[in-house]
Amino acid sequence: MKQTIWSISVWGWLILMSGIKPALMADDVIDRWSSSLIKIEVTRHQYEFFQPWSRRTASNVKFGVVTQGEQIITAAEDLFDQTTIRVQKGGRGEWFQASLEWIDYHLNLALLKVQDPAFWDGLQPVEFADPVPATGEARLLRWNDGRLENRKLDINRLRVGRSPLSFIDLPQLELDSEIEGIGRSEAIVVGDQLIGLAVAQARNKCAAIPSFLIHEVLTRLEQNQPSEVGFFNFYWKKSENPAAQDYLKLTGPRRGVIITEIIAIAGHQNVLKAKDILLSVDGFDIDIMGDYDDPTYGKLTLERLATRGRWAGDQVAMTLWREGALLEVAFELPRANYQSEYVPTANYDMPPAYLMAGGLLFQPLTEPFLRSWGRDWERRAPVRLVRLKGQAPSEENPSCVVLSAVLPDPYNLGYQDYRYLVVHQVNGRRIVDLPGLKEALELPVEGFHLIEFLPGEAVTKLVLDAQRLKDATQRVMFKYRLPTDYVVGESGTP
Amino acid sequence: MISLRADEPEKSVIQIMTFSQEPDWDEPWNASRVRGSTGSGFVIEGNRIMTNAHVVSWAKQIQVRRFQDSRPHLAEIAYVGHDCDLAILTVEDPTFFEGLNPLPIGVLPKVRSVVNTIGYPAGGEQISFTSGVVSRIELINYVQPGNRSLLAVQTDAAINPGNSGGPVLQDDQVVGVAFQGTPGLENTGFFIPPPIIQHFLKDVEDGVYNGFPQAGIGLSPLINPAYRQFLKLESPSDGARVDTLRSESAKAFLKEDDVLLEINGYQVAADATILYEGNQVHGAIAFSQAQHGQEVPVKIWREGQLLEIALPVEVNAQDRLEGNQYEPPKYFVYAGLVFTPLSRDYLTTFGQNWSAVAGIGLLYELFYKRNAEPEEVRSEPIMLSTVLSHPVNANMDIKGRVLVESINGIRIDSLEDVVRALEDHEGSHHVIEFGERLGFDCLDRNEAEKANDAILQTYGIQKDRML
Repeated sequence: MKQTIWSISVWGWLILMSGIKPALMADDVIDRWSSSLIKIEVTRHQYEFFQPWSRRTASNVKFGVVTQGEQIITAAEDLFDQTTIRVQKGGRGEWFQASLEWIDYHLNLALLKVQDPAFWDGLQPVEFADPVPATGEARLLRWNDGRLENRKLDINRLRVGRSPLSFIDLPQLELDSEIEGIGRSEAIVVGDQLIGLAVAQARNKCAAIPSFLIHEVLTRLEQNQPSEVGFFNFYWKKSENPAAQDYLKLTGPRRGVIITEIIAIAGHQNVLKAKDILLSVDGFDIDIMGDYDDPTYGKLTLERLATRGRWAGDQVAMTLWREGALLEVAFELPRANYQSEYVPTANYDMPPAYLMAGGLLFQPLTEPFLRSWGRDWERRAPVRLVRLKGQAPSEENPSCVVLSAVLPDPYNLGYQDYRYLVVHQVNGRRIVDLPGLKEALELPVEGFHLIEFLPGEAVTKLVLDAQRLKDATQRVMFKYRLPTDYVVGESGTP
Repeated sequence: MISLRADEPEKSVIQIMTFSQEPDWDEPWNASRVRGSTGSGFVIEGNRIMTNAHVVSWAKQIQVRRFQDSRPHLAEIAYVGHDCDLAILTVEDPTFFEGLNPLPIGVLPKVRSVVNTIGYPAGGEQISFTSGVVSRIELINYVQPGNRSLLAVQTDAAINPGNSGGPVLQDDQVVGVAFQGTPGLENTGFFIPPPIIQHFLKDVEDGVYNGFPQAGIGLSPLINPAYRQFLKLESPSDGARVDTLRSESAKAFLKEDDVLLEINGYQVAADATILYEGNQVHGAIAFSQAQHGQEVPVKIWREGQLLEIALPVEVNAQDRLEGNQYEPPKYFVYAGLVFTPLSRDYLTTFGQNWSAVAGIGLLYELFYKRNAEPEEVRSEPIMLSTVLSHPVNANMDIKGRVLVESINGIRIDSLEDVVRALEDHEGSHHVIEFGERLGFDCLDRNEAEKANDAILQTYGIQKDRML
């Protein structure tokens, strides 16, 4: 009896501390969430990078929740390259046309709008939990054959992990579940509050975008404040080895992590150096494992401090130990931007860029292109191309172009087997992008186009007849059913 | 041409039993269990036995047996050519060769002609005979070196494990040495033809085996009419293009975009092949006919002019680490840190799927960097292969399988650099920088030096280095 009373009091204390209201009964949950959980059908292009002019479409079903201002918030996954979005309330009945109001692939969030006022009848916006509970039980909700599927999950912890569509790290809620097929932006709720949107599953663990992050982004959008996410563009190592700290002449207790490399970003002023010891970030002490004590969630890795109330362009105070002395610096958070990478992680909402000249197919080297080798692309794609993924861009060498294939034609006889060669120069001009390549092909040298590849490729040079190029390009376009010989994005997804 | 004939050639076919012990490339002071294997060989002129190099690789003891004679005799390797997978053995007991006729070496057999193999393949104890036709003759990769391609003959005569090193006969003359098959392909065996055998025999005449030389160039087909026109070529169909220059002698004598019209009297076709004894084969074969250091006459087309050049050819020793090696691995152990060269053999310790496990950085360093960034290449990239746990190194983040960039500010191009950088350093700490964005790690120098002997003793390492 005594034990029971104790248990009840602890439970009540936990509820008060976390700010979460008591769990609703199953029927209550269904009533409450039926009017906020939306089924979303997305039809989108699926590009084939080995034949960049060919496109197929695919449809996916995912979920979102109603927010203030008659909008639907959902994960950005499956919304890139979309052609049509339809939404359905109550898990059945009429579909309504929706449109994309806002999307951020790094944050993995999107807002949808529905023009038809009838859609909003009977719907109510969700309440976001902030903070989110880092332990306890939660429910996963999704529409399944017209009924609201309501399944139990166990909250493991809040952690920091790689955002699914980006190269940056964001807070994620980690949950345990025996359910399969999680990751379509299902609502994760505790009582009548949303604690996250499910984004990924690996075995019995799933990850969710925590509601505090969603809420923070929505608030900034509502207040017309910039919502571009920033990140730390440096690598660091743990300081578990006392010899390393002795070598760096750190006095006092063991603390901080050691900066090992800074990734150069055009326009970003770098204030760090390799072998600096990073002692604190934004007022939080960093321990030798790279963690800080978050007042709400306990130990979190320091990458969280790039997004904890901070956004691209903000200054973050850092304390460093450099060459035997303390140093205070203001680190400006660079904006997460795919275009700042030598081989961009993504290039959403635009067809693959290419230039076909006389049957020679040129493409910018991007991660989506490398992913054409399949799930295991980092092992299966050509080593020389995969290695470039880790290359830092520079002003002179911001990106690269690959001869990805040759469409056989009498004009390119002898070159049919050339593929996956990185272009170095064309007609003596250094090539870093397709517009530059297009320009270079307008300036033949004594009647020839001289195409040179990087040293170490299987072949380093080929020559084309400049006078016959236009006719050959037209013939190849007709023979291989290319709608155009040149597709290039205006600026690319940031 | 040798005109000897053996009446009963099987009498001159020898069974070879090898007891071998391969090194452990990950912990190089260790070796594998002793393993027994069998192969074949045959008697050649001078009381010698010819076999495959792979039959006697890593041998600790070699026993040979005559036809229908169960007595084993001890043999030794006189010469071994791993690049051409051939070896010559001598036998301690001079009576071993009594009554045995050396088998004469014949000429390259014709495609579609019948050949016979004799040897001691798996599946039985007695000598075995098979027969088949010559299917094709071309340049193929030799598995023994792993990174060399030489002329070979494909046959549908069964060549199975144990046949290796045995003779392939036609009209009682040796027209090949059976040596390898292709997994997954049926009725496909390969043998080493007389031009390669004769080259090997000629090479060892001076008592030293050098190997097969290369031109040190990347030869590309020159088929596209526009490229031919660009190079002002008169012939519409002959000549292949020099795409890259790799060796110093090639750089001294040739230029990129030279067109190779003739090699050693063989006309070069636009697809970089030559017509060799009635077989269309890659032009590289014409260079490999020469001995190391010899000059090969070539005709080239350069900037609208025909030139004749005597091109020196040499054995390529630079890519030794990229192929299979047959020398014990080098290593240096310091404070429990085990340093050893990055090599194909080392990577195979990562498991059957080693190329996938190794990661892009190591594959690039070993197999691609030499051609892509010749100015940056290291003659002997060094791995920190493992860390033998001890309090002096227990706090290090890096536990092995990483490439070493520098130690105490010295760029590491060889194992000797590692020794020098660590033993000559006088600072309080050793600072080891790694590749692949792994940063650096440190050791307290005094503590490290004190710990060396104890670590060697704990892990049973007799010598801290093999350089």
